[in-house]
Amino acid sequence: MLGKLDWSAIPFDQPIPLIAGAVVLVAILGVLAWVVVKGHLPYLWREWITSVDHKRIGVMYVLLASVMLLRGGSDAIMMRIQQAVAYQSQGYLPPEHYNQIFSAHGTIMIFFVAMPFVIGLMNLIVPLQLGVRDVAFPTLNSVGFWLTATGALLVNVSLVVGEFARTGWLAFPPLSQLSYSPGVGVDYYAWSLQISGVGTLVAGINLVTTVLKLRTRGMNYLRMPMFCWTTLASNLLIVAAFPILTATLAMLLLDRYLGFHFFTNEAGGNVMMFMNLIWAWGHPEVYILVLPAFGIFSEVVSTFSGKALFGYRSMVLATMAICVISFMVWLHHFFTMGAGPNVNAIFGIASMIIAVPTGVKIYNWLFTMYGGRIRFATPMLWAVGFMVTFIIGGLTGVLVAVPPADFMLHNSMFLVAHFHNVIIGGVLFGAFAGFEYWFPKAFGFRLDERWGKAAFWFTFLGFYVTFIPLYAAGMLGMTRRLQHYDVAAWRPWMLVAAAGMAVLTIGVICQIMQLVVSIRNREALRDRTGDPWDGRSLEWATSSPPPVFNFAFHPDVRGEDAYWDMKIRAQQQLLGHDLPEYHDIDMPRNSPTGFVCAFFATIMGFALIWHIWWMVILGGLGAFATFVAFAWRDHDEYVIPAAEVARIDRANIEERRNLVSMAGAV
Amino acid sequence: MSDQTHMPDGHDLAPGEEEQHSVGTRILGYVVGLVLALLLTATSFFIAGTDLVWQPSIPVALIVLAIAQMGVHLVFFLHITTGPDNTNNVLALAFGLLVVFLVVGGTVWIMANLNANMPPMDHIMRMRQ
Repeated sequence: MLGKLDWSAIPFDQPIPLIAGAVVLVAILGVLAWVVVKGHLPYLWREWITSVDHKRIGVMYVLLASVMLLRGGSDAIMMRIQQAVAYQSQGYLPPEHYNQIFSAHGTIMIFFVAMPFVIGLMNLIVPLQLGVRDVAFPTLNSVGFWLTATGALLVNVSLVVGEFARTGWLAFPPLSQLSYSPGVGVDYYAWSLQISGVGTLVAGINLVTTVLKLRTRGMNYLRMPMFCWTTLASNLLIVAAFPILTATLAMLLLDRYLGFHFFTNEAGGNVMMFMNLIWAWGHPEVYILVLPAFGIFSEVVSTFSGKALFGYRSMVLATMAICVISFMVWLHHFFTMGAGPNVNAIFGIASMIIAVPTGVKIYNWLFTMYGGRIRFATPMLWAVGFMVTFIIGGLTGVLVAVPPADFMLHNSMFLVAHFHNVIIGGVLFGAFAGFEYWFPKAFGFRLDERWGKAAFWFTFLGFYVTFIPLYAAGMLGMTRRLQHYDVAAWRPWMLVAAAGMAVLTIGVICQIMQLVVSIRNREALRDRTGDPWDGRSLEWATSSPPPVFNFAFHPDVRGEDAYWDMKIRAQQQLLGHDLPEYHDIDMPRNSPTGFVCAFFATIMGFALIWHIWWMVILGGLGAFATFVAFAWRDHDEYVIPAAEVARIDRANIEERRNLVSMAGAV
Repeated sequence: MSDQTHMPDGHDLAPGEEEQHSVGTRILGYVVGLVLALLLTATSFFIAGTDLVWQPSIPVALIVLAIAQMGVHLVFFLHITTGPDNTNNVLALAFGLLVVFLVVGGTVWIMANLNANMPPMDHIMRMRQ
């Protein structure tokens, strides 16, 4: 009846996951109880859960990423403490638990923190920057988000019901095969990623179509803000690369469930093929994450330097070059697998070449700052911190792109330090810069600058104190994923890294404090004009938060930096243009399709993991029925009357006029 | 790339939608496509078993027919044309082909190179004998 599921699945003998799970469960139930008692449930259902508004979905993506960042961060803290204490002892985490923690840390941080964070920011901002009212497929967008949330939920369920994979974040066979991992850990891993992978693919198709097909009047390709270009490149990579991941994991699942021999040691299977395929997805994946971050930095550096982006066209070219070359370097993840010198040399050279367009970008940002009137607001601090940190990470990356050096450093702590250097220094700093920069746009009030700057400095310094010692430990020969060790020379570095982790934790606390303080002071921090940073692109041309239809009129774009251009023209004309005539606006209706689909997908995923076949059929039928019901809907749009559009738009124009006249009086 | 701007609320077509032709023209297009596809399929089966052509040329002929089949599908069923509205679709196709070529070609090259350096187990056994 319940497949492999029984009471032994719950780890009663392991206090750490049980207590953690209980605390999370109490927290979730508490929030749910509060929502129900306060009567917020209908509001949540109508305005958020069933919302197909790209801004709401973007906010939910970022919220999911933030919550999962806390989970992945807790795993990181546990690992750093373990390695600090486990010198000539077993530490406090038994090996099978420690292995689950590092696997979950990697999986969560890449798939459920970095991915939703950048996809959320793209969802929130790209339609605004393009001057349009929504993404190309609004309901599909909601489906994509909820399927991603399903994957995250399944990974977290594994904490209490069953176990997670002990195989590392990419589940290499033969370790991930049934013979070495008989438990449900790898199944949790694979099904979570299969389901959230569908969500990611859907988001990718949606955003590619949005950038290619929905642009406002005059917004031709070479007038798009840089963030739209990096969104296009990143989502093209999603569409091209995620099917490889899906196919590879499907083959692994066939091996595990139906006794196939794709990646087994016997019967003609080839383990090496798994490494090859997973990295053919895995390398484009790192560019999927970092390209949107590059776009965010381009926007931030240009806005806070008060200058147009230096070398816009070279930036576009560099972005598209990275998009293509990222598919030519994947072998550098397994130089040591035994390929000959020709293959290793070619991929080594390709890996060094991809650093060139990245270098072009760095110079462009520096030249954008050169001669500008730089304001060091929190987003700009993150951008400058990124440039310093990412250069170090990039240089160690070029170092490990040299095959002979890689043979020394492969799977060492040096590598761990390198990829944290680029992912934290690139993607996470970018996500935080975007969060600080666009928060006023999303919610209508600014974030507290003091706590924001404190969060930046603690995170920035904490990062160096944590990860520079890992480079040193790698040089001393320490390999990654060690549950305990006996080498005295590594110990001091592990202690320093643990201290760095404490500093990083303070950074996270500052970030949370910033949110709390800002919400409490939101009236004082209110952004009435919609343009708190003196921005340059169209998202600042509408109010904060934008009305559901984004723009009362499709903006008319006449050049790069569309909104900056409009402001200059408005100044020249002293804001004296006539009141325009408003029209009705059609907007897509909200739909519970995404949430209901994901509900059934969760049931199906859970049932597949535990071999509960009747439940698999139930979940599959439910998801399919939801899709059919949606496909047969009668009407999918509602009308916002012209009078309502006029009321909302005039209020915003009034606020802006007041601000201009106040500035004139001073 | 086409620099034309697509208005979200104007008379522009949703992604994948075709310009409005009369139903008859559209059906004719699909019928021609179907006939060509069937013809190519039948020819492939015929060629594979025939001795009317020089035997070593058969694989090449099959590859040519397969590529022609893909072309028929792209033109008649997926409506890829060289018209100005279709630049995005053609570019997407080109990008897709490039990625498939890189991944499949790269994989074949990498795996062949690995096998050259690491003979399979039975090979080693035979060498030991």
